[in-house]
Amino acid sequence: MGANNKAIEILPGTLDLLILRALVGGPRHGYGIAQRLRQVSDEVLQVGESSLYPALQRLLLNGWVRAEWGASDNNRRARYYTITAAGRKQLASECAEFARMMGAIQKVLETA
Amino acid sequence: MTLSLARFCRHLLFFSRRDRLEQELAEEIEFHRALKQDDPAMGNITVAREESREVWSFMAIEHFWQDLKYASRMLRRSPGFTALAGLSLALGIGGNAAMFSLVNTLLIRPLPFHQPDRLIRITSVYPVAGLVLFQQESRAMDVAQVSSARDYNLTGQGEAVRLAGSAVSANLFSVLGVPVEIGRAFAPGDDRPGSDSSVILSHALWTSRFNADPQVIGRVVTIDNVDRTVVGVMPAGFSYPAARVQMWIPKRVDPSKVVAYYGEVDGAFSPLIARLRDGATLAQARGEIRAITAHLDSQFPWPMPRNFNLDARVISLQEDMVGDVRRKLLVLLASVGIVLLVACTNVASLLLARATTRRKEIALRASLGAGRFRIVRQLLTESLLLAFTGGVAGLLLAFAALSIFRSALPINLPGLAEVAIDVRVAGFVALLTLATGLAFGIAPALSASQIDLAQTMRGGGQRATRGFWARFRGWLIAAEVTLTVVLLVGAGLLTRSLQALVDIDPGFRPERILTVRIAPNQSFCKERARCIALYDELLRRARQVPGVLDVAAANTVPLDGQFPNQPMDIEDRPHTADFPAPMFWAGAITADYLPLMRIPVLAGRGFSEADSATTAGAVLLSESTARRYWAGLNPVGRHLRIAGETRWRTIVGVVGDVHQSSLSGGVPPGIGGAMYMPYSQSVQAGNELPAAMNLLVRTTGDPAPIAQQIRALAVEQNPNVPVGRVEAMESIVSGSISDFRSTMGVLLSFAITALVLAAIGIYGLVSHSVIQRTYEIGVRMALGASKPNIVGLIMGQSMRFVAGGVVAGVGAAVAFARLMSSLLYGVAATDPVTFAGVIVFLFGIAAMASSAPAWRAAQMDPLKSLRVD
Repeated sequence: MGANNKAIEILPGTLDLLILRALVGGPRHGYGIAQRLRQVSDEVLQVGESSLYPALQRLLLNGWVRAEWGASDNNRRARYYTITAAGRKQLASECAEFARMMGAIQKVLETA
Repeated sequence: MTLSLARFCRHLLFFSRRDRLEQELAEEIEFHRALKQDDPAMGNITVAREESREVWSFMAIEHFWQDLKYASRMLRRSPGFTALAGLSLALGIGGNAAMFSLVNTLLIRPLPFHQPDRLIRITSVYPVAGLVLFQQESRAMDVAQVSSARDYNLTGQGEAVRLAGSAVSANLFSVLGVPVEIGRAFAPGDDRPGSDSSVILSHALWTSRFNADPQVIGRVVTIDNVDRTVVGVMPAGFSYPAARVQMWIPKRVDPSKVVAYYGEVDGAFSPLIARLRDGATLAQARGEIRAITAHLDSQFPWPMPRNFNLDARVISLQEDMVGDVRRKLLVLLASVGIVLLVACTNVASLLLARATTRRKEIALRASLGAGRFRIVRQLLTESLLLAFTGGVAGLLLAFAALSIFRSALPINLPGLAEVAIDVRVAGFVALLTLATGLAFGIAPALSASQIDLAQTMRGGGQRATRGFWARFRGWLIAAEVTLTVVLLVGAGLLTRSLQALVDIDPGFRPERILTVRIAPNQSFCKERARCIALYDELLRRARQVPGVLDVAAANTVPLDGQFPNQPMDIEDRPHTADFPAPMFWAGAITADYLPLMRIPVLAGRGFSEADSATTAGAVLLSESTARRYWAGLNPVGRHLRIAGETRWRTIVGVVGDVHQSSLSGGVPPGIGGAMYMPYSQSVQAGNELPAAMNLLVRTTGDPAPIAQQIRALAVEQNPNVPVGRVEAMESIVSGSISDFRSTMGVLLSFAITALVLAAIGIYGLVSHSVIQRTYEIGVRMALGASKPNIVGLIMGQSMRFVAGGVVAGVGAAVAFARLMSSLLYGVAATDPVTFAGVIVFLFGIAAMASSAPAWRAAQMDPLKSLRVD
């Protein structure tokens, strides 16, 4: 991964955050989440199955998302993920944390 | 991460459904793939699946399970090592488990009485008058009295039987705080004359002789020809003051019988025990004991030794009951602990050796991505599995070990019967297993995980000696040697003591002598002539049994635990406070006793048939008694009198000393001499003829076949007379030191175990270092080193560690020997012969263990060894 110069490896630990954010708009299936992240990030963030699906399992285990089988646009069986209340809370606190860290990194990069 | 309960529950759910989850995941990824066909392929499905699976499962447990499977495969692959390590651990753990159960029950667990920490024993013994005075004057204590166990005849309840009982003050059970199982305890006043004909049975006696019949309460039984009413039965497991006591009768408190009240009649001088009253302190009790004892001394109607009993101290009842067994238990505990340490050290050293030879395998695992922690954990799992194997086997061994250890303790120790391998012991074994597994596993695991990957994989692994860990192994061997020296010295000292005991001349010859205990009721001998006739007839008939050489009768035989004694008046030596009536051991014997026992007459004459009930009183003195009271004079023709009698008896001879009380020749405190009376003239406490006697028979050959005939003869003579133990004199003699013999046996087996382990350790160390130094040895030989040079080189290295261990071991052994000095006889704790012997022996064994691999090293073909990996 990462040989493609327009793709960027996702910072460790931020994938969960990104997935949760992608689900705020409504339920999505796995492929939908990957698509969404790619579109919103102007093709910079590319998430592979090898990291996406384990991350989703982790989120399920923590109770931050829920999964239900449903029918997709082309009428195939697909698993849709929905963010839970606990997930929203987690997202809010992680977002704040992330912003704080980015701010700090920015500061160091600009001044140091 | 929050590890909440809800998350844990979900985790369990996921784990249980992981097969379905896997299917769903596959379907999901399939769907994903279908949608992104236009995309460049990215992502790895296998990784996605594996990582998801990790999320669902409990990795710690799965890893542990993997480790366990791997460990058991490793252990099975080297069965020799596994068996050796497992067996040595089993020996160590099993021994410790058995020892723990003994120490826990006897020393740690509180006595099975109410508030046992408030119970005390007043050392020294008091007459009944002392009990009464203490009960009247003490404010801090409730005082009770217990006579030591004595044999009684129980008749009127099936076959006549002889049982151990104890005479106790009426308040004993309330002082101990033990309720009866059925019936009632003795009531206040049950010890007054007229109302003292009751008895309380032990649970064991109640079940064995009375079919556990609850109607037994109120029944009348005959004990030593006195009718007594059963008032109560004690609960199972209650045993006091000795394990063999089966019944308790009230002690008679009768101030009108001055001699019995103040004197030593029938074991009246007996221990006082007490319960501290609420709020009372030990210091108060001590003060009271001093004051009351002084008061008692002033009340005696005859002169007592100056400051009689004023040295009485207070000890806890537990301390009193365990007594000198405590020291022996501690010695055994220390020894068995040492065995386990040696076993651990040995296994650690073997594992260290394996760790170096397994270096390649471990390097392979490391290069495949196993972290250092993971490798250490893997190796520790192996050690723990090994320890667990040893622990399970050890628990089984503990049952056998317990019965062996028990034989090293006095059989009459209260509580010994309750010692068992139970849940507590199993728990102890579990802890011990865990601790040993970690103890011997941690160093090898650490050493193995310190791996220079590149170097090992390149292949130089076998040759590179890791300085620190190789030296560490040497130290382990030195430690093993140290511990082994300690045990060998301990066992050596005990062996020498036993030899000294066996070599003792007890003053008689026990070979081919049979003894038969015959115990009519004392009342049978109220009429002296009847008793004399009984034994005359018995002796006459026994003499006619084919194979019998000599026969005799005596009130006691040496070393059988009986010790009849009498206070004596000595001619021309008036009693004063500084010279109270000395207590003499008092034998009552028939004329043939001395020649039968081969006890020499040193001056004057022995007894003959002419010394009868109607002739003048004659006594014999032991040699040391004669020397003590008539130093330099001839005692023959002088006179003695049993205190309280009017007639003087004439000393007619002096005979050799006999070790009556213990094989080592010790006598109970307060005994000032030994004398013999002809049976027909003899008296025992209460001025009656001794009723219970021993028939002694010397046979021409093996006494065993004759035993039954003699016994049958005695039963036939008078079926109402219980015929007790039939025992060869030699077995009485060896029985008197059987617990000593067992102690020595136990310690010796510990020492041998440790020695074998140490030898294996040394052998392993040297063989391993030879393998590691193969290349170096090849070089040396190629450069011209001779075979003896090589042997010397290899052995020198290991013997340095052995020498260090021996030096440390001698130091530790001196301390250990001091701990066990009270168990020794006839040999000093620093006995140079033992120490020198152990040092030479150990060096010999060590040299043997290391010479074999060293010799093999010298036989190597230098060309081959240079080519080694």
